[in-house]
Amino acid sequence: MDIVTIKDLTKTYPGFTLDSVSFSLAPGRIAGFIGRNGAGKTTTIKSMLNLVHPDHGQVEYFGMPLSGNEAQIKRRIGYSTGTISWYPRKRIRDIKAVTKPFYDSWDDARYESFLRLFALDESKTPRELSDGMKVKCNLLFALSHGAEVLILDEPTSGLDPFSRDELLDIFEQIKQTGVAIFFSTHIISDIEKCADDIVYISKGRIVAAIPKEEFATRHQQPGESLEEAFLRLERGVLDA
Amino acid sequence: MRNLLMKEMKLSASILSYLFIAFGLMFLLPGYPILCGVFFSCLGIFQGYQNAREANDLVFSALLPVSKQDVVKGKMLFACFIELCTLALMAIAMLLRMTVFTDSVVYRMNALMNANPFALGVAFLIFGLFNLIFIAGFFKTSYKLGKPFVTFIIVAFVAIGIAEALHFFPSLEALNAFGTEHLTLQLSLLVAGVLCYIILTWLALRSSMANFEKTDL
Repeated sequence: MDIVTIKDLTKTYPGFTLDSVSFSLAPGRIAGFIGRNGAGKTTTIKSMLNLVHPDHGQVEYFGMPLSGNEAQIKRRIGYSTGTISWYPRKRIRDIKAVTKPFYDSWDDARYESFLRLFALDESKTPRELSDGMKVKCNLLFALSHGAEVLILDEPTSGLDPFSRDELLDIFEQIKQTGVAIFFSTHIISDIEKCADDIVYISKGRIVAAIPKEEFATRHQQPGESLEEAFLRLERGVLDA
Repeated sequence: MRNLLMKEMKLSASILSYLFIAFGLMFLLPGYPILCGVFFSCLGIFQGYQNAREANDLVFSALLPVSKQDVVKGKMLFACFIELCTLALMAIAMLLRMTVFTDSVVYRMNALMNANPFALGVAFLIFGLFNLIFIAGFFKTSYKLGKPFVTFIIVAFVAIGIAEALHFFPSLEALNAFGTEHLTLQLSLLVAGVLCYIILTWLALRSSMANFEKTDL
């Protein structure tokens, strides 16, 4: 059974339309959400979190519509976005102290272990962190309350190659516990390394939402790398 | 809701939100437009909103496991907390001026508005106007702070000017009662002010929740 279902998500802005976006996520799988800048990745993710109101379409988690079950659903999902700083002048320790009571499932041991893994200092404020450390700080909060679905908006952007590799390994470990991970990226090697499924968006439309192997069979030409296939597809989509 | 209030107090608020509560004690100042204390307390809340906006507070809050309507309720609850703390200081100052300092020459010679229940009622009214004009105005966009605050400043100072001027009109002298004079009228006006505060805050909350629900963050 799918853990997240997106149906016909449509949102029109002047000059851009997110056009009938549909896909689903299964538990224990990692889906890479790929598309160039401005393709609609962040709008889709924000619509999945009720931060943006689609003109049309449905978002369901665990078989429940997001609308009307927002608090219950958000308790079971984790979200992290790139390098945005929440409360840049507050210490990480203080942000954690306020955030923790919102989640019955908050796990201090898990929090401490990610804190050590990411080499974060709780007494620092987000404004004292580098971009890469901000990404880790946001991830720390998303990972500490036992979420069943992780929605991560460009979690690897700004990370050094070692941290990126570490993070993708962490994704693998988390997936083994049955958690679904949905992460947007424009770094194709991230997808190659850890994604089970590919959701490819271009100009506001889903081009493919299928397992990675199926994507290779359908869209990759002999001898072509995944990156080359995406570049060719993107050019084709843009030329169309 | 308790968790949201804690978040407002510990993460979203500015230190000025708390410090400016002390302006409630302006009710002790003789020869000064004492209702300006309300404006300064509102300025403290405004500073908190400015801080919160720069700290991406609304998006952080909307991602917590609460409904978007609860996010607005939390912010309104915090504003009411600051306002009621200020009003409590004003009430203490008012009671001191009505009882302990009733024979004080500086208060007897006061040319401006006396700290009495009518003044406290107007303070409730102006806080209610702040909630309706500034807070509900802010939630129309969840971003623009300047226009609703400037609008509030204009309305607040007009209200303060009218309240200060009223007792100079014939037959309205009782509005500036000293000590326990005209107590029934004074208390009725206080109750009217409290009712205005409740109604205006309720209208502000309803409008803010409806607008925030529709806003794309």
